[in-house]
Amino acid sequence: MVASAFAANEAPGTKNKEQVAEIYRPQAGKFPDLEKAHAYRGELIFVDHANRRGSIRVAGEGMFRRNDPHPFAMLPYGIIRYHGAPADLRDIPLGTMMHVLAYLPPDPRISAVPVLPENNKEKDAGHYRGAGVFPAENHVLLIEDEASYCLREGKAWKLKEVELQSSNQGMILATLEAKQSGDGKATEQKLTFDGALRIWRGRECLTIAELIAEGAWPASGKKSLNAQSVLLGLTWKPTPDGIFQRFHISDIWLDDASIQRAAKNQTETHTALIRGRWMPAFVDTVEYGKFGRATVTVTLFGGMDPSLYADFNKDSPVLINGAENTLKHDGGHYGPGHLASRGTILGVVKTPGTAPMGSSGIQVRFETDLIIEGIRPGRVVRIHPKGWPDVVLPREEYLGDGPRQEDRFPSPAIFPKYNL
Amino acid sequence: MMFLVRCSWLKTFVVLGSLFLVAGSLNVAGFAANEEPRTKNQEQVAVPFRPENGKFPPLDKSVAYRGELVFVDHATRRGSLRVEFKSEFFRSPPTPFAMLPYGMVRYHGAPADLRDIPLGTIMNIRAFLPPDPKNSSVVTTPNHWYPLPLENHAILIEDEPSLCLREGKTWKLKEVDLQNNQGIVLATRDSQDAAAAKDPEEKLTIDSTTRFWRGRESLSLADLVAEGTWPASGKKSLGGQSALLGLIWKPCPDGIFVRYHISDVWLDDKATQRAIQSQTEVHMSLIRSRWMPAFVDKVEYGKFGRATVTVTLFGGMDPSLYADFKKDGTGAINGAENTLKHAGGSYGPAHMASKGTILEVIKTPGVAPMGSSGIQVRFETDLIIEGIRPGRVVRIRPSGWPNVYIPREEFLGEGSKIEDRFPRPDIFPIYR
Repeated sequence: MVASAFAANEAPGTKNKEQVAEIYRPQAGKFPDLEKAHAYRGELIFVDHANRRGSIRVAGEGMFRRNDPHPFAMLPYGIIRYHGAPADLRDIPLGTMMHVLAYLPPDPRISAVPVLPENNKEKDAGHYRGAGVFPAENHVLLIEDEASYCLREGKAWKLKEVELQSSNQGMILATLEAKQSGDGKATEQKLTFDGALRIWRGRECLTIAELIAEGAWPASGKKSLNAQSVLLGLTWKPTPDGIFQRFHISDIWLDDASIQRAAKNQTETHTALIRGRWMPAFVDTVEYGKFGRATVTVTLFGGMDPSLYADFNKDSPVLINGAENTLKHDGGHYGPGHLASRGTILGVVKTPGTAPMGSSGIQVRFETDLIIEGIRPGRVVRIHPKGWPDVVLPREEYLGDGPRQEDRFPSPAIFPKYNL
Repeated sequence: MMFLVRCSWLKTFVVLGSLFLVAGSLNVAGFAANEEPRTKNQEQVAVPFRPENGKFPPLDKSVAYRGELVFVDHATRRGSLRVEFKSEFFRSPPTPFAMLPYGMVRYHGAPADLRDIPLGTIMNIRAFLPPDPKNSSVVTTPNHWYPLPLENHAILIEDEPSLCLREGKTWKLKEVDLQNNQGIVLATRDSQDAAAAKDPEEKLTIDSTTRFWRGRESLSLADLVAEGTWPASGKKSLGGQSALLGLIWKPCPDGIFVRYHISDVWLDDKATQRAIQSQTEVHMSLIRSRWMPAFVDKVEYGKFGRATVTVTLFGGMDPSLYADFKKDGTGAINGAENTLKHAGGSYGPAHMASKGTILEVIKTPGVAPMGSSGIQVRFETDLIIEGIRPGRVVRIRPSGWPNVYIPREEFLGEGSKIEDRFPRPDIFPIYR
């Protein structure tokens, strides 16, 4: 219809191009604009941690249970957070409700998950599922659990009322609002819990029965909880009575000490992982020298514990290895150090201003005498400073010697297609 | 050179009890002159044991091994393990496994689903060859040159505390040696059975991620150091302290082939009981909403679609779930697949299920084989359907359980895609 309506003095196509909204995709070697990200949340259903991808049941307005698991892939600099700390996908229990910030695939040809029409989030998926449950924005910059989301955004759950329907299951009425300045006017949500609920207080892990024994919760019936401020871990369980969407509480952190202990434990887990797998980074520049020498500048990816970045020091030795967008090392049959390029750190620079999400804002400049194909501007590398352990990697976390295309670019064919 | 190395591993694996078939090819040329070729050969080749539909296999035909849980596809009850063998553990590629329909998952000494097990957990497995290789959801032939088991259909997969609790074993902590919030624990896994063979002393790593459970407390290494129970640095005898351990694996420096890492230490019975209770609650809630899986033993056909169906409930669940099946109670029964997926469920599993009345609940005499509860339920329905036939897997629900819908990946679609019923093994990567 529009194609036939050009004014006589306009070149065909001009008006059309103006009308088509610009499609934003992240670019290799650059950290994307956060405000262009699409936000959604859902239940983690499936994880292929070695390829940094998985599936999530995205929450929309319709029947949550009917939403097919929706594949997602982490961007190479994509950040995972769990219990308010950096994490790997392998750390997140299946069933956890996650918050996601995501983009269209940077390069649809090599996407590790199915590529969907750009406007897919606007389409009603039908069958009482509503719109937004299969967004084409499936390349993730940030995926985090409820506790991490609340800590990052300065929010807290205020518990209004608990109702015990039997000795070990019931319902909580709560609002999610700013931790400090919440006015209690946020929309109330009903959340279920059952006998598997973990209640964390200081270093204790309590049960419902113990809260009842203390008199904090009633043995049966309702009790006001006076807007008690807590953090919640959320999952989902099938809900009776035709409820479209109601989430389930897996964990309650009653105080700051308990969530700090959880964050500390997860931080230690992730720190040990990164020390064994090396710090991922983008190559910013390569200044080529002679006989294979080069000075390389990389930007370390963000979201890690500060102690990891502090290990990169001027004049200390460093190893650098080519990697894929999945963060898999290019080689590793004898450990990633075997084929890595060695060098010396010439400088560590904190770039001015606030670093974009995905970036640490820290650049490392080093010189190597073995500049290789994998270390080019825009490529992902992994870098290992002095002092980190020299360990071998499990088989699924590095590429093989073979030239198989799917080792570098995992096929999206592993994700099942559901029909109703 | 590589051949010799491989043979050595194979020998190791055969010693471990595998049915890995390597010997046949060596005997081909050895016929006596007066014998018909093939006859002797046929006698010599052991017929490999495979579980049969509708029957629980004898446990002594299973192969035991252990490894790190690396991948899980919980909706189709399969995954991958990095199997331990007598060489460099890190080189062991993830080896796919599938749960038999009656295969049991245990975690923290309690029934579990694969979705409950954190990736990285060291799991102990008892498994068989695929019952029907044509329909296997995991590979049935070796896809690498490592001596990894073809017995990849699991009747039992359990974490370390579950194994210890089931077999009456406990870890005795001998000594800890700490430097910079990490170190080594020297320990042995002892049996309550004094006549049992002693396991060798093991070195296990520990660090600041290790969780210590004591009563209702969740402690860190720093807490134990602050209490003076453990040293801030250096060695200390732990006096053979009894504990249950959760094990994972982390890459080891210094060329160590296999050394496990302690993720959790349960310091007392109270802490263990709390972990068991929590996992039991998780699993009971799951089974009540997904229904109890069972084999159809017998169908006595009546008229106009009526039939009396006898099923054997699968084993390993909490006793309270079995207690919900009562004579004269009502319920529903639905066809299911070997993956335990409901045959239909777009409007909830109850929508297409056959409803009826429980005529009888029978405890079969003797000890039930692993996989079976030993409990038979006789059920009369006026809607006997194709999915409810002897040897088939069904899911059955007593009327007191919640009537809920199930998520999309846990039931078959209405379409005719064969891979919905028989998931293909090609989602598993092949490692070179």
